[in-house]
Amino acid sequence: MFERITEPRARDGRAPDVFRPGAWMPMRCHADEEEVDFAIVGTGAGGGTLAAKLAEAGFSVVAFDAGPFWRPLEDFASDENAQGDLYWTDERITGGADPIQLGSNNSGKGVGGSTVHYAMVALRFRPEWFKARSKLGYARDWPLSFDELEPYYEEAEESLKISGPVHYPWGRRRRRYPRRAHPMNASALVLARGAERIGIPWSPVPLATLSAPRGMAHPCVYRGFCIYGCSTNAKQSVLVTFIPRAIRAGAEIRDQAMVGRIEMGKNGRATGLLYHRCGVWHRQKARHVVVAGYSIETPRLLLNSACAQFPNGLANDNGLVGTHLMIHSGPGVWGEMDEEIRSYKAPPSLAVTEHWNYHDEGKDFHGGYAFMSGGPLPGGWAHTLIGARGLWGMALRQEMTRFNRMAGLRIVGETEPKPHNRVELADETDQYGLRIPRVTFSFSDNDRRLMEHSIGSMRAVLEAAGARNLWSDRDSSHLLGSCRMGDDPEDSVTNADGRTWTIPNLWVCDGSLFPTSGGVNPSLTIQALACRIGDRIAAMAKRGELGR
Amino acid sequence: MPARIPEPSRRPLLAVGLGAATVAGVAGALAWRWWHRSERAEISPTRGLRAGAAVLSLAVLLDSGIEHYRGSFENPAMVIAPTLALATLGMTAVEDRAAPYVFGAALAVGAAGVAFHSYNIGKRAGGFDMLNLFYAAPLGAPAALSLAGLFGLAAEHPDVAKPERVAPVAALALLGTAAEAGLLHFRGAFQNPFMFAPVTLPPIAAAATAASGISPLVAKAARPLLLGTALLGIAGPILHAYGIHRNMGGWRNWSQMILQGPPLPAPPAFLGIALAALGALPALERTR
Amino acid sequence: MNGFKTPYPDYDVLEKWDTPSWNPQTRAVVRRRLDQVPERRFLTEQEWQLLEAVAARVMPQPDRADPVPIVPWIDDTLAANRGPGYRYADMPPMREAWRQGLAGIAGEARERHGRNFGELPAEVQDALLGAIQRGETDGRHWGDLPAARFFSELLLKQIVAIYYAHPAAWNEIGFGGPASPRGYVRLGFDERDPWEAGVPDV
Repeated sequence: MFERITEPRARDGRAPDVFRPGAWMPMRCHADEEEVDFAIVGTGAGGGTLAAKLAEAGFSVVAFDAGPFWRPLEDFASDENAQGDLYWTDERITGGADPIQLGSNNSGKGVGGSTVHYAMVALRFRPEWFKARSKLGYARDWPLSFDELEPYYEEAEESLKISGPVHYPWGRRRRRYPRRAHPMNASALVLARGAERIGIPWSPVPLATLSAPRGMAHPCVYRGFCIYGCSTNAKQSVLVTFIPRAIRAGAEIRDQAMVGRIEMGKNGRATGLLYHRCGVWHRQKARHVVVAGYSIETPRLLLNSACAQFPNGLANDNGLVGTHLMIHSGPGVWGEMDEEIRSYKAPPSLAVTEHWNYHDEGKDFHGGYAFMSGGPLPGGWAHTLIGARGLWGMALRQEMTRFNRMAGLRIVGETEPKPHNRVELADETDQYGLRIPRVTFSFSDNDRRLMEHSIGSMRAVLEAAGARNLWSDRDSSHLLGSCRMGDDPEDSVTNADGRTWTIPNLWVCDGSLFPTSGGVNPSLTIQALACRIGDRIAAMAKRGELGR
Repeated sequence: MPARIPEPSRRPLLAVGLGAATVAGVAGALAWRWWHRSERAEISPTRGLRAGAAVLSLAVLLDSGIEHYRGSFENPAMVIAPTLALATLGMTAVEDRAAPYVFGAALAVGAAGVAFHSYNIGKRAGGFDMLNLFYAAPLGAPAALSLAGLFGLAAEHPDVAKPERVAPVAALALLGTAAEAGLLHFRGAFQNPFMFAPVTLPPIAAAATAASGISPLVAKAARPLLLGTALLGIAGPILHAYGIHRNMGGWRNWSQMILQGPPLPAPPAFLGIALAALGALPALERTR
Repeated sequence: MNGFKTPYPDYDVLEKWDTPSWNPQTRAVVRRRLDQVPERRFLTEQEWQLLEAVAARVMPQPDRADPVPIVPWIDDTLAANRGPGYRYADMPPMREAWRQGLAGIAGEARERHGRNFGELPAEVQDALLGAIQRGETDGRHWGDLPAARFFSELLLKQIVAIYYAHPAAWNEIGFGGPASPRGYVRLGFDERDPWEAGVPDV
């Protein structure tokens, strides 16, 4: 962004119209003392989606985001370094044997959350993963089945006008994607060629970016800066899909509002929350509070809200809040092609093979992985060369001149849920005086075997495609778990509806609900969960099951 | 899933569609009057074929020129299509002894183009999958050059190109063109309802045209359908121009969007074929 | 290896400045990067000089009379205390890490060679930086800072991120640069748009 936005935009009865530069749309606003039906913390894949669903169901909704409310057409620059405000860059401590890179790697800040800078990959979980323990013999079962989530996958895909292939080769038979797949760039063609030569299936990636116009949103122009924010509105981020829907349905979005604490009443129910906006702490009253801050901020807020009644933090009687944090392992393999690849063009991941998500024979590990073609920009590519090969000096400068001939693949690899991989509070505090999170992560032996296996598969595909001088690197992506859902109150933080076991009007709705991580990008599953939770809440309200 | 998912934003589609139809109607009517400027000069099969060949040639010239430019003329043979289309266009405008040879060459090169495009698709990763049918060299497009050549040749041989023969050929061509529009509009997910027009009207017109030899009544019914199809051929570029405006950067970003946006010169193929068919109609309307 | 050769000697991404590939937002960002190089605000004069010497080895630019500025932008980040959003559990906060890290390099140079880092010959500087990268350091100069992690995670990453955000760097690797509203049309093997860098010299 060429100008830093520090003041709230969404207030005084209006919110930015994301489709027109400088324009506004009317927004219903609520006073702090007015008790709203739902206060939602976070406006990303979980919170933003749920805000629209609940508002459309007739509830009064205020959704908070700590970051700005962008208008992508006017705010976003085409630049790797100038878009840093898209990321959550408040201080966090990362440790363990395999510390997770946070910030731009997996954490968004701003209305729309991480979907504003995600790579738009929109894949469904393999149906069996929802019953991983009973059907595949590892990790644990989700408290819901694929069948229960399937209509919500469809709803999420329809809401985002996913561009996908006419026939997707994996998973259950499905309705056609709402939009057609994008053309493939050379990087994707490398994967396709290699996969065909070694005899495994491949597919264009179903993507949440438009292949044909939608309303005021332009189709993709293949500019390649997707993970630095889409300046054309082709990317169907929550910012340009569910947020306008939510506002039109009567929800209020409160940007630049950092929620610091959930407040509890004597009756064991949440009464609202404390948030910081324009330099002052405010108190919003609400009948229900939904936490949707993703796998670090969600447990952090629950822990930071500890009070006399709940000294371990909210919904944490069993001590599970913050635990079983997962990521996706992301080793990559790179090589040099005879052809020019120029993978800076088009969305970074246009071709995928989910072969090893669905094909279990010959694996020496539990779980699965998908791999996709890569498309780094220069700064990101230089970081890969530093990280994997330790290059610097003239060696790095000279190696960088091969940029346009490099092709690579990277996995989204399942990791196991482990109690010691977790989010806790450090003693240090941030600019709001809130204790900052300390994140601990180490790969398990199974995680390592999966990564080794994937490197072998990616090498085989790249070699078959004609790449030379192969080498591999280590990376990771996404955050999952830390407030997992389950069937047993002893063994989980929420039930299948995201409702916490111990506080009946406190809900969680984001990726921290995941009991397992699966081997695909999580956003579509988060949004399907949010759509389902929205419908469940509406149904429960009708039956008078929300309480009070 | 809810019955209807609310859209985050909307565009004035109806206004655009009606606007394009009006402009196309006025332009079509003016052209029609100009064409009929000599009173009672009935449109003859020869004139229809010649006009059809001219429009098709112009469309192929622009379309293959733009598309092969997108392909960076990677294969030198890619200059042949636009060059030959220019030549056929010339031959429809002037009387020249070389005309039969040029038209014949267009017929042959168009066929070779189809074969070459097929070969190209076949060797790509994925082969004849939908992705390649969408984005690789189009299978149907070179056939338009063949058709221009065929119409040109036919116009030179009214004895062979009898109306009852021209009609079914034009019908088949309409179906093929509608199929190609259908494929590409499917690629665009029929995001604008007007994208259904070229896959509904022309096939009906094709059916009526093909059957117009059966009775004058059918031939009479074919006329308005063909006129509608011709209008589509004029309205198409207008709608496609709007489509370019709808893309990122709009016409200011023409250097990308002329290639990536909806193809401006493609829809007039409907006009060209409809003209050839319209030329055959009067005779068929009279028979029996 | 002292010489540097680019496969794209004739490519200048700035020629696209007034084309649809650059929108006003991006022009503003890059103009600031080119024309408004910040003054020293955080580092001391000595730290600045030392970092200049280090950056000249990490990203050597012997081919340029006017090298891409790097240190001013690191100083800018430190002055604004604009971190990446995480810090390793074994590292102090960003500003302290840089202070300690630069002191470590200075101490290591004096200890091993009895001279300031900036006065050492290039090969010796490279060897010293290589040793730091491999963690072969004397703990006395570094305090509780893990030298190898400082070198790889802060120093290297920051320097290359700044360098490869400069149009001069985009030119030498043939990167298309800013692309909005105009993106790209020709995406396949060996395909390039007229507004991209041409065929590379191999």
